[in-house]
Amino acid sequence: MDGRLANRWRLTVNEKKFIETALASNLRIDGRNPLEYRKIIIKFGRQVAWEEDGSSEVHLGQTHVMGFVTGQLVQPYQDRQNEGMLLIFTEFSPMADPSFEPGHPGESAVELGRIVDRGLRDSRAVDTESLCVLSGKLVWAIRIDLHIVDNGGNLIDAANIAALAALLTFRRPECTLGGDDGQEVIVHPPEEREPLPLIVHHLPVAITFAFLGSEGKLVVDPTYSEEAVMAGRMIASVNANGDICAIQKAGGEGVPQSAIMHCLQLASMCAISITKKINSAVEAYSTERALRKIKRHPTVAGNVSVAGSDVKEQNKTVEQVGGSDLSRHHIERLKLVSEETCSRSNDNDGDIKSSEQGGTSRGESKAMNFLGGPSNWDPYLKGVDHDSLKANVASHGILTQHMEQKEREQNSPKMDTQKRTEDIKQATLATDTSGTALEMNEERTLKDAAKPKNKRRKRASSMNAS
Amino acid sequence: MESERDDGRSPSQLRPLSCARNVLHRAHGSASWSQGDTKVLAAVYGPKAGTKKNENPEKACIEVIWKPKTGQIGKQEKEFEMILKRTLQSICILTLNPNTTTSIIVQVVNDDGALLVCAINAACAALIDAGIPLKHLAVAICCCLAEGGYVILDPTKLEEQKMRGFAYLVFPNSVVSVLPKGSSRVEGEPMEHGIITSVTHGVMSVEEYLKCLERGRAASTKLSDLLRRSLQSQLPSDSSKAV
Repeated sequence: MDGRLANRWRLTVNEKKFIETALASNLRIDGRNPLEYRKIIIKFGRQVAWEEDGSSEVHLGQTHVMGFVTGQLVQPYQDRQNEGMLLIFTEFSPMADPSFEPGHPGESAVELGRIVDRGLRDSRAVDTESLCVLSGKLVWAIRIDLHIVDNGGNLIDAANIAALAALLTFRRPECTLGGDDGQEVIVHPPEEREPLPLIVHHLPVAITFAFLGSEGKLVVDPTYSEEAVMAGRMIASVNANGDICAIQKAGGEGVPQSAIMHCLQLASMCAISITKKINSAVEAYSTERALRKIKRHPTVAGNVSVAGSDVKEQNKTVEQVGGSDLSRHHIERLKLVSEETCSRSNDNDGDIKSSEQGGTSRGESKAMNFLGGPSNWDPYLKGVDHDSLKANVASHGILTQHMEQKEREQNSPKMDTQKRTEDIKQATLATDTSGTALEMNEERTLKDAAKPKNKRRKRASSMNAS
Repeated sequence: MESERDDGRSPSQLRPLSCARNVLHRAHGSASWSQGDTKVLAAVYGPKAGTKKNENPEKACIEVIWKPKTGQIGKQEKEFEMILKRTLQSICILTLNPNTTTSIIVQVVNDDGALLVCAINAACAALIDAGIPLKHLAVAICCCLAEGGYVILDPTKLEEQKMRGFAYLVFPNSVVSVLPKGSSRVEGEPMEHGIITSVTHGVMSVEEYLKCLERGRAASTKLSDLLRRSLQSQLPSDSSKAV
């Protein structure tokens, strides 16, 4: 369409010259070193109990990619009767870049998909033989959907990390063979049997190198303006053991062999640090997930409505920011909410019991609620999510109201399975006197949790200002 | 008759909402909207030069692209695109920029009931973020009819599947919650009580539908309040997005 050509973004000659000249003095336009990677933030999506997990969100600087992994039972290929399938679909969403057209994937989308595919399949990173359920009849087909949501440059690396993160957190339901002749496949839902993770032997990480200017200056992790200027590019998929899983250099300017060797060495070093980041993010997510699972067992035997309320799980975000600082916050928040849910669940019951009895049962309920902390934690955590913080502090008023109500309602079915405990006053008094009690008031706890983040931001910004 | 919903909400209680603007860097306007577990990301590019072939070049054209979470684009996605397009066409001022196309791209991040409603709200917020001139905002809500004949709002996916029928309703954003006497009236009814879009699934009687409308309208004032407050206080902090 003629009109659309007018909308395409082109880099001006001035910008091109500026980027090249700055690079001559080893400066990049966003202030990085030529061999420095942008900040990587890996988040994991929400999980609903009856759906497999396996969704990830990766922010590489301004580039934003989402990965979703799903599994399905299908017939295997004729020539690979014992192996499962790995399918990668890439979507260059038109929201990422005004030049991306909807519909049929363009050549860069296909290239991205092929690079991720080769890195995972040819290097046997994902064990496909373990995906076989019934040889020749039924195997698992794992489908990875990569959605490019924001194009800030270097989509291949970001998409690769998203695919790896999603694969590591994906769980497939367990299947057993049953029936009369052992030929019938029974798929167990997650409530019955714990879903299984995929067997991933190693993580092939893609590192993109761009060659800019006439001398072929090398930069790692180009932004989209650098990509518009570059003369050639090379993508190396390397794993943390130093194995090269795939190299892609499709045309572009000729590069001497020494430069290629240099790139590969750099790639192994980058791969080690990125693999560490991915692994720590996945681990943090898995431990939270495990904590949530523990809570499920005592209540699953009880009310069906409780399972229903468990199922409404909210967003889980694990940020790769300061590391320990944030995890401490998370643990604090965990404690905060466990106390909160304890007191609120006690609030809901009107029954009056003797304080002694109340004490012991409260202790029990506290223990149970503490394990139940994380799942009830989620609607609350939503309120202090990055995004909603960005939205409005004033709207927190309504938000907290909604969430208080919601949590109260959530906790009331929970209480059905537990013994009727004591009075409101008694509960708050007793919990106040206990050593580990924190703020009981709901408003305060929500804002308290919100404050540290805000404070952190203010502190950071004041530090930058000073 | 009050009944216990699965997650313990009352029949007229909405799930916790969160709305964030300006979440993407390349898009001219973007917003993410989540109601409970349903989360939708919307981005706006525009106005761009030229309209599509069959569109009227004397007006601005709106193009909606719906991206599902997984899977191919099928009939349902096309239907959502059409509904969204027509809804947004009625709130945008189309005569301002003739012969241009504004693209709205909707990406489903998670679907847990009331998906179209979430998408409409997200698209509205994204349009505001992009600075596209609008007549008024649109506030969408989903009302379900349960077996007992009572109306529940903002269902989850499970509830949607169990219900006898449900309706997606889109109301214009009212500026005041109580209409003053002299407010503009169209055929004896205040303008703010109009319905922009209504999509129903399932079977319901006329009275039940009207009951849904009532409940939906009441909830929409609350929702539009929240929307206005959250979108107003955002400072224009973004630098030029033209690149």
